[in-house]
Amino acid sequence: MTTSTVHAPTPAVELAGITKRFPGVVANDAVDLRVAEGEIHAVVGENGAGKSTLMKILYGMQAADEGTMTVGGSEVRFSSPSEAIDAGIGMVHQHFMLADQLTVLENVVLGAEPTRRGTIDRAAARRDLEDLGRSYGLDLDPDDHVETLEVGERQRVEIIKVLYRGARVLILDEPTAVLVPQEVEELFRNLRELKARGHTIIFIDHKLEEVLAIADTITVLRQGRTVATVDPSEVTAHQLAELMVGSDLPTPSTEPRADDDHVTLAIRGLSIPAAEGRPALDGIDLEVRRGEIVGVAGVEGNGQGVLVEAILGLREATGGDIALDGESISGWPVRRRREAGLGYVPEDRHRRGLLLDAPLWENAMLGHQTTAPYARGPWIDRRGARDATTDIVADFDVRTPGIDTTARALSGGNQQKLVIGREMAAGPRMLIAAHPTRGIDVGAQAAVWADLRTARADGLAVLLVSADLEELIGLADRLLVMLRGRIVAELDPATTTPMQLGGHMTGASGDGDPS
Amino acid sequence: MTSTLRSSLVLRWMLAALGVILALAVVQELARPETTDLVSSGTAESTLRRAVPILLAGLGGIWAERAGVVNIGLEGMMVLGTWFGAWGALEFGPWWGLVIGIAGGAAGGLLHAVATVTFGVDHIISGVAVNIIAPALTRFLSREFFVDRPGGGLTQSPRVESVGSLDVPFLAGGDLFGWTTPDIFHWIEDRSWFLASDVAAVLGGVTRSVSWATLLALALVPASVFILWRTAFGLRVRSSGEHPVAANSLGVSVVRMKFTAVVVSGGLAGFGGAFIAIEQTGIYRENQVQGRGFIGLATVIFGNWQPVGAFLGSLLFGFADALQLRDRTAVHALLLLVGVALAAQAVRAVLQKRNRPAFLLAAASVAVLWWYAVTEEVVSELPPVTPHVATLLVLVFAAGRLRPPAAIGLPYRRGQE
Repeated sequence: MTTSTVHAPTPAVELAGITKRFPGVVANDAVDLRVAEGEIHAVVGENGAGKSTLMKILYGMQAADEGTMTVGGSEVRFSSPSEAIDAGIGMVHQHFMLADQLTVLENVVLGAEPTRRGTIDRAAARRDLEDLGRSYGLDLDPDDHVETLEVGERQRVEIIKVLYRGARVLILDEPTAVLVPQEVEELFRNLRELKARGHTIIFIDHKLEEVLAIADTITVLRQGRTVATVDPSEVTAHQLAELMVGSDLPTPSTEPRADDDHVTLAIRGLSIPAAEGRPALDGIDLEVRRGEIVGVAGVEGNGQGVLVEAILGLREATGGDIALDGESISGWPVRRRREAGLGYVPEDRHRRGLLLDAPLWENAMLGHQTTAPYARGPWIDRRGARDATTDIVADFDVRTPGIDTTARALSGGNQQKLVIGREMAAGPRMLIAAHPTRGIDVGAQAAVWADLRTARADGLAVLLVSADLEELIGLADRLLVMLRGRIVAELDPATTTPMQLGGHMTGASGDGDPS
Repeated sequence: MTSTLRSSLVLRWMLAALGVILALAVVQELARPETTDLVSSGTAESTLRRAVPILLAGLGGIWAERAGVVNIGLEGMMVLGTWFGAWGALEFGPWWGLVIGIAGGAAGGLLHAVATVTFGVDHIISGVAVNIIAPALTRFLSREFFVDRPGGGLTQSPRVESVGSLDVPFLAGGDLFGWTTPDIFHWIEDRSWFLASDVAAVLGGVTRSVSWATLLALALVPASVFILWRTAFGLRVRSSGEHPVAANSLGVSVVRMKFTAVVVSGGLAGFGGAFIAIEQTGIYRENQVQGRGFIGLATVIFGNWQPVGAFLGSLLFGFADALQLRDRTAVHALLLLVGVALAAQAVRAVLQKRNRPAFLLAAASVAVLWWYAVTEEVVSELPPVTPHVATLLVLVFAAGRLRPPAAIGLPYRRGQE
């Protein structure tokens, strides 16, 4: 069914020899991409392969150093997104570009407002929005504030935003990264609808099953180069993986766990009241045993973040108790909890994990600045800290020119390896890992997984919060699902599929679900 | 449908205003003969006049902050407004004085915009710089332009004329085609009917000899609402303060929006400064702004970044300011009102089962009422800080409901992510 699309006569978009250099790296190295009219064209590659840079160039957010772009047969050169929009190209960003406090309608019309006698013609805008929603099956209330919408709905706002500007070519940058499987299916329905109406879609992803399910043509990037353009009916996921990384893709997995009934972390009836209508925590009961990884799944904003903050002491609980090795730590300040052996890999390493403009050896101290080898009495032990950092860099394979380099200069994966190394080096009893592999490349991902497995084998208790369902199922010994501040299900990862997990996460799965 | 919604909103505002006047009238009755100035045409007139510069600073704050730029330099921009307003009024007459005062403030805004938007300087640092530069500059300019004039000096200008005022015909006895109309509000006020006369006194105060500049300033409240919430330009300004990267990705020139908004902000502050010099005092004097720029910033927060809210905040400050100048005993009577209001809030908190706030409110209420009962007059330091205390209370109890623009104070560079 896809035989004619690869070499269609006039491509909707053609990129030839695109090169983009950043200080120290070549993000795109003579990349070629040829997208036929009316197809869904997937661009795949691991993190750092240059997919996003390529799309930003096509959307006018960055200028290419070399190469040519052709849209609809004529050569173009964009210096801003508005020029790309005028040429009929729209982009749905990976991190949504939506103003939370504005309404859906305001977000959609922004920059292309219909006006009547000097004011925004809200009636006309509403009509257009509802027409678009009906014809593409994208259901939305124009007057909702974006902050009240769920992730899938926000994505629909982004798509409508692009369609509202009359885009014929839609770029979607890792659109499934934030969605549960059910939402992914809905997104794919929308995309097929768009394709049926003659739109061309460029779809960026690194999840191979998804790509094989939706794409008409696949272009693979590796280290900034075009490796291949293939027909999905002619390749397997395995072959694609090899094209992407040059070797087999790592998968998360663990050995069976040794029997150990010692409970490291015990949480009883933990509650935090809702603020501003957001779900907080409602009677959480949870145990993590020695040498066990407990996975916490949930759609973002259902209390996982609050739970992590409560365990760490960043947020005060109003009810319930938290105990570490049988000793209640509920009233303890954060530092005392950390000193007692609580390790923490934060969800957002840029905001909570690192001081981006500080050297690595200072970053390695964070959270352990009161204990040896980083401190001696009230003073910072510079030599001890530097030696310890050198050890972390070596043991955890942090690729850096030296320990005086600033954290900002490292890639996401190496930053994360430093954070994990820092926590592990302190010899914690309990590790809280929130989204430890988010936004890092495949190699670093495999390293993080290996670190977690090693720690587990050494008897560390791990609470793993993640949005990557494969990771949860692969690594965890037990799975808990959070919904609206409660634990709604406990699952055995050995018998759970991502689809079932997604059902529990959205609350769609009732008691009769065969799981 | 929207017109009925709007009229019901107007009705609700009128009822709220009536409620405030009623509460004040009741307190005035209870506190007789201690004070007669809580509700009077004089207090109303003074409240409005003192509210105007604060309102203009508040509107200036809203314009800048809606675009994502913290404008702590409002104070300095007002100082520029006072000097340039007085100078313009001396050279070309009071109306030109206002225009030149606005231009002076806008120049301060431009400086702040260049620093914060173009060069990415921290907004607070740039604002403080403006606040330091402005008085130094005006001192220098006074030496150059005012010292040699009769009545002028290093720290003050010669006296200047004001722009003139209006008595509203029929309502407040204004002239209409050379015929002096009856003064209805004054007539009702003289009848001493409870509430009706009080309302007439307040309305009379705000319609009799009201400055044209005051009317212009008041018109800027709906004008700001209209521009910021109804026009495409306004949406672009607000989006620059909420999510500049998103706005830029849709082709909005964020830098231009921020520049425009900050210059408008400075212009509004300059208007406020010029109003002080030309309308309130009739003279430029050093230090005459007296922190009104900062109070204007407080009304921005008090009013939840909405022009109408800032207007209400400015009235609160204006009222407290007017009272402490006119009649200190009135402030004492006001304690009674505050005590009762706190008690009412405490009851509300109890009904909502919010125990801690309820307890705190009740305790505060008892303390204030006790204070009222055992004293004859409040300490002289209290009246001037009343508005600040009111703002603090609002911040304490409404903090969870305040919605500042999301990207406020953050540096923005084109093409960032």
